[in-house]
Amino acid sequence: MSASGAVGGWEQPPTKRWKQSLVQGSPVLLALLILVTLMVLYIVLFDAQLGRLPGLFEWTSVVNTGLPTALVAVGQSIVVLTRGIDLSVGGIVDVSNAFAATHIHAGAGSMLGWTLVILLYGAGAGAINGALIAYARLQPILVTLATLSIWQGVALEVLPQPGGTIPTTYTNLLANPNRPWGLVAIGAVALLWFVFRRTSLGVNVYAIGNDEYAARAHGIPVRRVKVATYALSGLLAAAGGLFLAASTTGGDPTEGNTFVLTSIAAVVLGGVSFQGGRGSALGALAGAFILTILVNVLFFANVNPLYQPFFQGLFLVIAVLLGSLLGRIIRRSSA
Amino acid sequence: MTRFGSTASERFARLGDGITPDRLRIVAAFGAAILIFGVGAFLHHGFASVASIEAILTVASFVGLVAAGQTFVILVGGIDLSMPWVLNAAAVLLATSSLGHNDRAIPAILLALGLGLTVGLVNGVAIAYFAVPAVVMTLAMNGIMEGLTLGVSKGLTCASCGSYAPLAIQNVYHTKVVGIPTDLLLWLGVTLLVGFVLSMTTFGRKIYATGNNPLASYLSGVRVRGVTVALYMLSGMFAALAGIALVAYGGQPSLGLGDPYLFQSIAAAVIGGVSILGGRGHYFGAAAGAITLVALITLLEAENMPEYGRSIVYGVTILAILLLFGRKEKAA
Repeated sequence: MSASGAVGGWEQPPTKRWKQSLVQGSPVLLALLILVTLMVLYIVLFDAQLGRLPGLFEWTSVVNTGLPTALVAVGQSIVVLTRGIDLSVGGIVDVSNAFAATHIHAGAGSMLGWTLVILLYGAGAGAINGALIAYARLQPILVTLATLSIWQGVALEVLPQPGGTIPTTYTNLLANPNRPWGLVAIGAVALLWFVFRRTSLGVNVYAIGNDEYAARAHGIPVRRVKVATYALSGLLAAAGGLFLAASTTGGDPTEGNTFVLTSIAAVVLGGVSFQGGRGSALGALAGAFILTILVNVLFFANVNPLYQPFFQGLFLVIAVLLGSLLGRIIRRSSA
Repeated sequence: MTRFGSTASERFARLGDGITPDRLRIVAAFGAAILIFGVGAFLHHGFASVASIEAILTVASFVGLVAAGQTFVILVGGIDLSMPWVLNAAAVLLATSSLGHNDRAIPAILLALGLGLTVGLVNGVAIAYFAVPAVVMTLAMNGIMEGLTLGVSKGLTCASCGSYAPLAIQNVYHTKVVGIPTDLLLWLGVTLLVGFVLSMTTFGRKIYATGNNPLASYLSGVRVRGVTVALYMLSGMFAALAGIALVAYGGQPSLGLGDPYLFQSIAAAVIGGVSILGGRGHYFGAAAGAITLVALITLLEAENMPEYGRSIVYGVTILAILLLFGRKEKAA
């Protein structure tokens, strides 16, 4: 697996290196396995219900629906890798979404300008979280709970009721309903992660997640790295808000709230450990699409929509238990 | 005086001896509540009237009940995100199982509390024995309970879903004992009981020990896993109790009844000085935090502040309290 080989490979004798990779990569592999299984299940159920296979339109819709969650989940996973958590992503998605729907107008200047402003806002909001956590030494869960509330308020001020519009060009660029351009965004995020993982920031993120004191003792600028991770999470949440606005072609100041929970669920499904330092953003990416396809599978399996949260919750628990069981087996066999 | 007698009296003596930072936090939380009532009385004639204070305390009691469960799990470094829908499920179960009959009130209450305990048991076992992170397990459990509540009650449209809570239970909110509303007396009783468990029982000692250092506690013979399971069961039970209280207060259950109480219960615990890392804080602080929080919300509503403004003030208040009190000691 892509993100796996590098971590701690030096301490293993060369012959054991593939096993090390397996230990590090198995959560992502499991997430991909679950994703593929669900996709097959979706295809089978779709065919059973409608007598044909899901076509380009259906898959494009899956991509566009899952993309905002995927972006937010990737940001969340970077924070979780440092043993943190970011609940404020919901509020940041709300504000970005509301701003996009009220300010972006047709015309390249407006679209580009406001996109940049909103992304900068996200990074800034994240940096505030990071500064409060790293420099003021506050608890991540409490800081981001407070800033979640603040951003939710700001979003309601910007856009009191669902409404506003998004230029068609913008929708077609970010979330084209007929062509899966979203795949390009997914590929870009995966590629960027691949690069990020190899930068000193990426290595430091893992170091801090594994042992913050050791990381500090080794001269890693722990506080600056933390600010950077929360800023990244904020940036990706803002990007998620933009994609959400593009795919729904309007704004809703409360629609982002669900992203708090779905981003955490995606991170968990993707096998990123809450103990920090273990896992990959690629897993979170897969986790986000697992959640998206799961909704489709439940729909075509004729599950009463009222029971949907029940199955989602159950699925989450089973996936976590499966992941820890698999991890235990692999670690035992490679010990 | 016998040996045993002296230890008991020593315990009482220790309660009053010395002003530790943690106790100061509890005093500060009560002080903040009084301050808000003072400011409110200054801005609005009647804000600090008996009727207004009673109304605020009644609303605070719901937050306070949920915060009791939340405090228990936070004290061992855990968290319970499943409370909103455990609360809601218990509320629906109480109404649908009692069908409004007074003679069914007691079994219905026991059934609802049993539901909370069972959910807590499942949470606790998964967290303590299967090492599922508390955030993940309780988050998933919230979804499970939401789906079950919605599905089984068909979106609260089932035949018995229109039932009211038995009048005997509703009356708690309309009667007074020696001039004090019954519901507030009940909350006072719960507060004293939780305080007693935390401060004066071995179970309470074990909670703080586990929260401060699970490994050291285990090595000194504390059954850390058992304690953890028991605390999540208590958390589930208090969520159910809050559900019962809300149905008694409002007469009928509704969907989404519990949603505001998750963040408010955590905020109340934080305002009251309960450390999210575990091992520090007391329910007295969380109860004071609940009163402070509800008084603040009520004051902002009285000031006609729009929803967005309240949300911002709410977040800024938590941040300010954290910056004042909640900072971790500087790493060595």
